[in-house]
Formats: sequence, C-alpha cells, structure tokens
Amino acid sequence: MLTLYRPDTGWLHRAPAGPKAFVLLVIVLAVSLLPSTYLSAAIAAAVTIAAYLLSRLGLAELGRQVVAVRWIIVVTFGFQVLFLPMESAVANTSRVVAAIVIAALLVLTTRVADLLDAFERGLGVFCRFGLDPARVALVLAVAITTVPVLTRLAVGVREAQRARGARAGVRSFVIPFLVVSLKHADELGDALTARGVA
Amino acid sequence: MTESMTTDSIEVSDLSVRLGDRLALDSVTLTLEARRIAVIGANGSGKSTFARVLGGLIAPTSGSLSVLGVDPVAERTQLRRLVSLVFSNPDAQIIMPTVAEDAAFSLRSARLPRSEVAERVREALDQFGLTELADRAAHDLSGGQKQLLALCGAVIRRPQLLIADEPTAYLDARNSRLIADHLLAPSDRRLVLVSHDLALAERCDVAVLFEDGRMLGLGDPADIVSRYEASLAC
Repeated sequence: MLTLYRPDTGWLHRAPAGPKAFVLLVIVLAVSLLPSTYLSAAIAAAVTIAAYLLSRLGLAELGRQVVAVRWIIVVTFGFQVLFLPMESAVANTSRVVAAIVIAALLVLTTRVADLLDAFERGLGVFCRFGLDPARVALVLAVAITTVPVLTRLAVGVREAQRARGARAGVRSFVIPFLVVSLKHADELGDALTARGVA
Repeated sequence: MTESMTTDSIEVSDLSVRLGDRLALDSVTLTLEARRIAVIGANGSGKSTFARVLGGLIAPTSGSLSVLGVDPVAERTQLRRLVSLVFSNPDAQIIMPTVAEDAAFSLRSARLPRSEVAERVREALDQFGLTELADRAAHDLSGGQKQLLALCGAVIRRPQLLIADEPTAYLDARNSRLIADHLLAPSDRRLVLVSHDLALAERCDVAVLFEDGRMLGLGDPADIVSRYEASLAC
C-alpha cells in the first residue's frame, strides 16, 4: 500500500508541507552533488542517519527504507563496480540511496492530503495559463491510490485464471486485466462524481 | 445561474433511458415523497439505472425529472450539494490512502476551513466506528469497514438525499446489518435504497418495483415485496 505516512507529532511531522518539501529537496540536491569519494559516502550516510534521528522516525524506519530500495542498491552498485573504481561505485551508490531515503522523509512525515494541498498551492501560479491545480492534485491522489487497487485486480485475474486451469501467459493476462481495470476506472469516475469532485 | 427552490420530493415524468440498444428505463412516471424509499427488482430490471439517473450519473433519453426540486441534468452543481451516492463496490469508492484522509476528501470541493473539516471528519469517523482506524491504510480494511468508510464519505457531506445502490451486495450478514442500520437510522436526510435484500426493503417507508425497465408497483413495502415474490414464483 502506498500510504507511507507514519503518524507522529515530531517537528518534521508538524512542519508545513511546502517548506518541508523545499528543504528536503535542497538536502537531496546537496547530497547528490557530493564528489565521488569515500568521504562523500560517509557524509551522505551521516546526513541520512541524522535526518532520521532528528525527525524521530528512528533507525528502524531508516532500515526499512533501505531494505525497500535493496534492488536499486544491487543494480546501481553492480553496474558501477564493473566500470568504475570501487571508491566511485561506493560513493555513487551511497549518494543515490541517501537521496531516495531522504526524499522519503517527505511522504513519511506528511499526509497525502497535506501534500496535495501544498501541490495545489504551488501550482496556483500556473492558473493564468489555464491549469487547474485542484484537478492536477486530484489526478495525483487518484494515481497514488489506484496502484494498490490495480495490484489487487491483477492478483484477482491470476487467481481466476488458475481456478479455471488457464496457463500463465502475458496475452491471457493482459486482456482480462485491461477489462477489469477499465471497469474499475468507470466505477471510480462515478465515485468521484458522487463525492462532488468531478 | 438561477438556483431552483428545493422541495422534498422526487418527481419523474415519462422518463426513458436507452443504454446502447437496450431500453433500461421505459416511460417511468412516479412521485416519491416518502423519506426512505426502497427500489427492488430483478437483475437488469432498471433499478440501478433509475438510481443513477436520480444521482445525475446518467442523463435520461427522454422525459423529465426533479430531485428535491433540482433538475439533475441542468443543475448538476446544485445536485452535487444535495445528493450523495454509495455503490456496491467499496474499493472503487476509496480515493485517498488513509481512512481519515478519505473521509475528508469528500469535503475538498466544499472549501471549508481546516478546523471544520477536522471536526466533521472526527464526528463522522466516530459515528461509523472508524475512529481507531483513522490512520490505517484505507485499502487494507475489511470489506465491511471499506463500505462503512464509503458510507462515511457520502454522509460527511451532509446530503439531503443519500442514494445507495446495493450497498450490502459484497458484505456478509453481520456487516450487511451494520450498514443497513446506519442507512436506516433516523435522520433528516432522505434515502433511496436499491437492494436485492427484501427484508431491508421492508424496513423502508415505501417501495418501488421495477421489471424490464418499467415500474410495476409503488406503495407499502410489504405489499410490493409480496408482489415481487409472487412474480418470482411464477
């Protein structure tokens, strides 16, 4: 499920979403621009650990986030170590992982509704060009929550196929999955209208 | 835009709806003034189409209708303020990641102050027994809890009319009863309840029976249910 928010009352949780996103973006950029040395890897790790401790999310949460990106670590380090010196591979991988898990602090400490409000406010400047920030925020909200639903629909299609003895295959999966996904989209459209937002 | 005066009734005159090649509703004429209205009939009889037309989700092909004094086609914005809908599949009604956020989502278009939104969410979650689940992932709830959340998201807007289209279809007996009790609890709002559950229909003030897109009967729920059951025995 894509709700990563961890309820708490820490200062980072209480910080307004817009400025918080900006500060985290600056930290992510700073970490990303560090040179490719072992010292940079250590700095990236130290900044990340400090951010998680200061935000009161703790090292256990940091561990979960690192585990969640384990395949990115494997792929990034695996390719880098083949073509670059060990020091560069370690530093680059550390910076990428640090950037991802620091960015995750935003969704870990901010409710989606607050993020959408901030997003809506941020896009307000584009109103003069005909952009509807509320609609864009709505699209984002729907996209975020539709991922787990599509996953469940995919599982349902596979189970239905197994129950009827069908062999696994891309073509036999894609068509029924598209059909149930489109049906879901129809129902979601009705639900949005019913809730007065479309 | 001139806002029409709201009334307490649903008035339908010679209403027909064509969906593709099929006439889903065929010249339906009725006036509904009761507070809790059950709509019953077999699959494909037109009852869900009727509910969707009342809720402004489907435009009629011909005829006219007025829902609490509002034309659902010409006055959609006003209809949205008066009417909320609940469907049978709760998964398709959940928009936001957590329970509290999803309840609050229904109030986004109302542009209420944050404090009022928070208060209304707190009240609504409490009413539906969802307070303890406020920060839980909405899609991880059980089917019954999801439907309670869908109902919560509809009711939090304080609609004058709640249209529920087979809201207990996916639920077990215990959760069906829970949802039914919430729907039929004494309230200022009106209810149009589309259901296959005849016991539920009998708890309403009036029932409408549909068959093949036509309205076959309107009146006392016990009489209408008996008539429907008799037609099933044939």
